[in-house]
Amino acid sequence: MPEQQIPNEHQQPVVIIGAGHSGVAVAAGLRTRGWRGRILLLDAEKETPYERPPLSKELLKAGAPDESTLLRKEKFFLDKGIERLGGLSVESIDRSGKAVILSDGSRHAYHRLVIATGSRARALTVPGADLPGVLALRTKDDALELKRVLVADARVAIIGAGYIGLEVAAAAAARGCQVTVLEFQDRVMSRVTSAPVSCFFENIHREKGVRFVFGAAVTAIEGVGRAEQVQTADGARFPADVVLAGIGVVPNQEIAEAAGLNCKDGILVDDHGRTSEPEIYAAGDVTRFTSRIDGQSQRLECIQNAMAQADSVAAHITGQTPSEPEIPWFRTVQHGVRLQTAGVRHPDDDIIVRGTPADGKFSVVYLRKGRLSAVDTVGGLSDFRPAKKLIAQAAAIDPALAADPSIPLTGAALQPSY
Amino acid sequence: MSNNKVTVVDREGATHDLEWEPDQTLMEALRDNDLPVLASCGGTASCATCHVFLEKDVFENLSERSEDELELLVEAEGYQEFGSRLSCQVDFSQNLDGATVTLAPEG
Repeated sequence: MPEQQIPNEHQQPVVIIGAGHSGVAVAAGLRTRGWRGRILLLDAEKETPYERPPLSKELLKAGAPDESTLLRKEKFFLDKGIERLGGLSVESIDRSGKAVILSDGSRHAYHRLVIATGSRARALTVPGADLPGVLALRTKDDALELKRVLVADARVAIIGAGYIGLEVAAAAAARGCQVTVLEFQDRVMSRVTSAPVSCFFENIHREKGVRFVFGAAVTAIEGVGRAEQVQTADGARFPADVVLAGIGVVPNQEIAEAAGLNCKDGILVDDHGRTSEPEIYAAGDVTRFTSRIDGQSQRLECIQNAMAQADSVAAHITGQTPSEPEIPWFRTVQHGVRLQTAGVRHPDDDIIVRGTPADGKFSVVYLRKGRLSAVDTVGGLSDFRPAKKLIAQAAAIDPALAADPSIPLTGAALQPSY
Repeated sequence: MSNNKVTVVDREGATHDLEWEPDQTLMEALRDNDLPVLASCGGTASCATCHVFLEKDVFENLSERSEDELELLVEAEGYQEFGSRLSCQVDFSQNLDGATVTLAPEG
């Protein structure tokens, strides 16, 4: 950090609502960037902030400790002078008084406020969705509850074949459960990947005994006192001891809406993470913003976005320049097989399969008007870093070369496109 | 166990002395001491943003790199066969006391 006068502003308080990836990264980033004022990190949960990705992976494994990786060790918050208040909710934001009011009645003044409240699991709305035994997975408590009920021979019905549904399906199958996945679309992970990857993962799951029902529209959860079966629109009924809904997430924007900030399926923010109120920022899953890549309005539910927006916010609050953001990327692990995606694919992108799925290791390359938009790597990571780099350059790709896994992905790029 | 002292050379060539605590991976020690290590995957050998170079004699005392780690490293800028590690995969060890750690270029 170069020697310089610390602006008076940097002694002012910043309040951050939410202690997930983005909230913690804002707090840490402010300190790294020299902010000296109070930093108050508000967390709906009590314990030390933790990572969510392991909740549906490592934590559910038999014999694994009931802990997730901590985002930072407790000592970090102490060392950096980041105050944490856990187990309280925010009642309201007093915009004119520049303070947040908590559920215990306490009032905390801010110079800048950051809303990093994340998202929550979308709730099933069919009759019976509130029966005991119908679960979702978002928090560590959710994961521990799920872990308790995923016992051998339990009949587990999973609604939704997205990342969460399939990761839980894999964990449940490994624990000896009888797993049925009910999916409205005609293949797994249809929102995030192409048919060859869907087919590959569906086969892995089937080999492990997972059953799939596609085109399934769930109409009710039935049971006396607790969930006993799932009914679909065609009248079929699937007996279940455990029902898990993995049908996406919704942004936790209510506190922002109540404060009059512009929201539309997410808190609207600009490139600096500013909301419609200049003193209030937002970062992470709760935001909606314009993609730098294709100009589309989007929400992005991934850690890369949470961290990149957190960095933009910390940079803007301190009057500094943000780091170059990573290309969005996503990771899932099912039955020990990794799918890692760089970039955000569109359904109408051209696809090139690179390698042979039967080998258990291949990539799918996505091209938009001849330029690289995304790459899925399955069972290996060799193409991941080259993909990030080439996507950032919007590199034009030779499809024939890209289809040949003996040629490095970078070798398939035509001349630099700028 | 007492802390390790390590010297870090950042991407601008400046050096920083830092304390590496026994319950930290090398990545955590770097990140939590304000060095620019993004570590967006949280230490799962997925993102390769915590790539560092170690001295050969230090490197050779460490356990083998996993296939995932190696696949990411080989494609990284400046990859060194006998020096490149993802710092999230390097656990605390007293053998590393006094080591020099150089941050690899981003990208």
